[in-house]
Amino acid sequence: MRLWIYIVRRLILLVPIIIGVMTITFALISAIPTQQRIESYYAPCRGHCYQPWEQYIPCPTNASATCTNPLWTKAIDQLGLNYPVPVQWAIYMENALTFHWGYTNNFSTVVSNYPVLRGEAVTTVLGWFLPYTLELAALSLIIIMVISLPLGNLSAVYRNRPVDQVSRIMSFSGYALPAFLLGTLLLYATIIVVGGPSQVSPICKGHFAALNDFWGSWPPVGCSNLYGTTNLGLDGYPTWLGGGFISSPTGFPTIDAALHGQWALAGDTLLRLVLPALVIAYGSIALLLRFVRNSMLEVMNLDFVRTARAKGLSEKVVTRRHAGRNSLNVTITVLGLTFAFFIGGFPIIESVFNLWGVGRLLAFSLEGSFDYGLIFGSTLLFTFLVVGANIIVDVLYAYLDPRVRLG
Amino acid sequence: MSATGTNGIAEEALPGEGPPGNSATVTASTRRRPNPRLDQFKRTWYFFRRNTLAMVGLGILVFFVAAFVYGLVFQGPTTQLNLYCATDGAPSQSTCPAGNISVCTYPQGTTSPGANCYQTPVIDGIPYNNFIPPTMTTTTLGPLPFGALIQSGQVGTPYFYNLYAGLVKGTDWSLSISVAIVLTGAISGLLIGVIAGFYGGVVDEVLMRLTDIFLSVPQILLVIVVILAGQEIGITGFDNRILLMVGAFIATWWPTYARIVRGQVLVVREQKYVEAARASGASGGRIVRKHVMPNSVYPVFVQMSLDVGTVPLLIAAIVYIGFPIFPNVLWPEWGSIAAESTLTLPDILQECAILGSGSACPFPWWQLLFPGMALFLFAISVNFVADGLRDALDPRLRR
Repeated sequence: MRLWIYIVRRLILLVPIIIGVMTITFALISAIPTQQRIESYYAPCRGHCYQPWEQYIPCPTNASATCTNPLWTKAIDQLGLNYPVPVQWAIYMENALTFHWGYTNNFSTVVSNYPVLRGEAVTTVLGWFLPYTLELAALSLIIIMVISLPLGNLSAVYRNRPVDQVSRIMSFSGYALPAFLLGTLLLYATIIVVGGPSQVSPICKGHFAALNDFWGSWPPVGCSNLYGTTNLGLDGYPTWLGGGFISSPTGFPTIDAALHGQWALAGDTLLRLVLPALVIAYGSIALLLRFVRNSMLEVMNLDFVRTARAKGLSEKVVTRRHAGRNSLNVTITVLGLTFAFFIGGFPIIESVFNLWGVGRLLAFSLEGSFDYGLIFGSTLLFTFLVVGANIIVDVLYAYLDPRVRLG
Repeated sequence: MSATGTNGIAEEALPGEGPPGNSATVTASTRRRPNPRLDQFKRTWYFFRRNTLAMVGLGILVFFVAAFVYGLVFQGPTTQLNLYCATDGAPSQSTCPAGNISVCTYPQGTTSPGANCYQTPVIDGIPYNNFIPPTMTTTTLGPLPFGALIQSGQVGTPYFYNLYAGLVKGTDWSLSISVAIVLTGAISGLLIGVIAGFYGGVVDEVLMRLTDIFLSVPQILLVIVVILAGQEIGITGFDNRILLMVGAFIATWWPTYARIVRGQVLVVREQKYVEAARASGASGGRIVRKHVMPNSVYPVFVQMSLDVGTVPLLIAAIVYIGFPIFPNVLWPEWGSIAAESTLTLPDILQECAILGSGSACPFPWWQLLFPGMALFLFAISVNFVADGLRDALDPRLRR
């Protein structure tokens, strides 16, 4: 019962954080020129334009009063640009909280490269790409926990012995090695093991761009592979995903493939996630591993552990049941931090491994002429993910440690 | 480890812990006024010295500091840091950025338009203009001891420059930018954390919510968006953009320190010595300066030494995802060099595969190895030092 009160209190504390974060993004987005803001806020037309004036909003920034383009005035009105700053802020907050994050920019490089995105709402586009990121994040989290929890405990128990030194060097090198470098090296290593860059990969035979596509989320267009030839969609998404992968029931590629009964595809998708997830895990393990080790060391000095030993319990039971359980509390808090840390690395990992997640989308929208709608949209999305993860972590912490929720 | 530690203490008569003023052994000339700060430092150094990894890290750091000093006296772009700008057809110095040496490319099968021109291949009827195979850069474009870095940022004007010169210059950039960011971030975080922790109440609430807000935005994204916004409000030019980038990093950096320091201050302010100071009538400012701050600053040192190595990695990440921190400017900084060289690798390999000359077109390993080594060694050495510092400063961990 008290847990619910704690959760409610925690959610109330969330309000100033959300307001603050969005005030920062509002301040930053206010620096963008009006023309670009309107272009990224308002979609002139989706896919096909019926009127010539629909194609773009050709009014100069300072002549909005004499502007005859109805879209310009409409957009100015909707963004509240005629009102004082506090009102603009309120309108921005309302739009952001109701998920009206604007539209993709007709003139940005990413949209001209991928016409599928033309005129779509930013939230829709993010919704397409988010599941892939979530799958990758979940897999990386699992790998991080599977490696760092036992290894941290071991290095605390066998402190300053070889196990501890190995885990220390491993965590430090993971922290120090740039993810894109490690990813690229692994990619090339895989290609060299499988065959030369222009040679053969088991999934995509004889395709020249195998270099980039081998670990991509889906096989490239026209590429022969284990399950036939793919020929449509955003850089080779299978046809049953309907070009814009709209027909996918859940949006999660692995689950969708399984639902369609394409087990080979599901397995293949999962396989493509393993290497990037390993790279992410290797980079993020450092933080968690050190915290697990140190909190375990602290717990092992406490009285109840000594009592457990004095009772004559085996060392295994003492370290697992007594010390291990109690050192978990700190671990969970650090897990939230780790999540915030590695989600910032997603644009890099997804670019290296050619995965179609939100991070990749962000990287694309930073190419050539920027797509501000997508940039600020993915910033908001990542922020919400981090805040949400922290909430979950706090609640878990309170659930595991009664002192937190009662104190 | 612990056994040798105790032996070492017994043998070396740890400074500051021996019996003070033993008249039988200490003569009047060697007796000195006790200096607790110096003794503390000596004790920390004693424990730090016994940590092999930490000493290795310190050694690498000394090397980097030496490289930093060498980079200061190193002759700049005019002599050794050759920037090459390639154009199609005849070389024209006018279209190249200032300080670049103009070279040119011409399609296979046509005659060379002049000196400093390099043939580019035609495959399946498609001319591969603006591409100079990496072997040419190593063999013909001047002294390039570690091979060349090719930047493919701009179509039509790829730049080439000497990787060795770039990395030496990059030491200056990387180290000074990292130290500037981390130092400023740590100082502001320290002040905010001390104020929040010591005064508590509403001040604490407000400052900590502010910290939470800044911690919620992913670091790389905030830096990118701040640079974008700064660019739009007209912050242009190389120096201004560097300042903008440093400012953006600081904005994302202080919350970590504020949190650490606040947690530490919360513990320290309940200690007996703070109570004693208050009882003897010390003002709040004096307690903060003399008692709270010195006793809660050590974790900051550890975190600072950890963070110094992270800045070049973050810059590398930002450049890698394609965000032009410095559009059209070749910036010799480790992170950006590493990112650029990784980004150009697929192009080079694909061109090599098209050329079909495996032997003439080796895998440009130097492009990955040397910038990567610089980043990796710097980050890992500061990590070792931070770990040694933590063990030496925290009595519970050193034993």
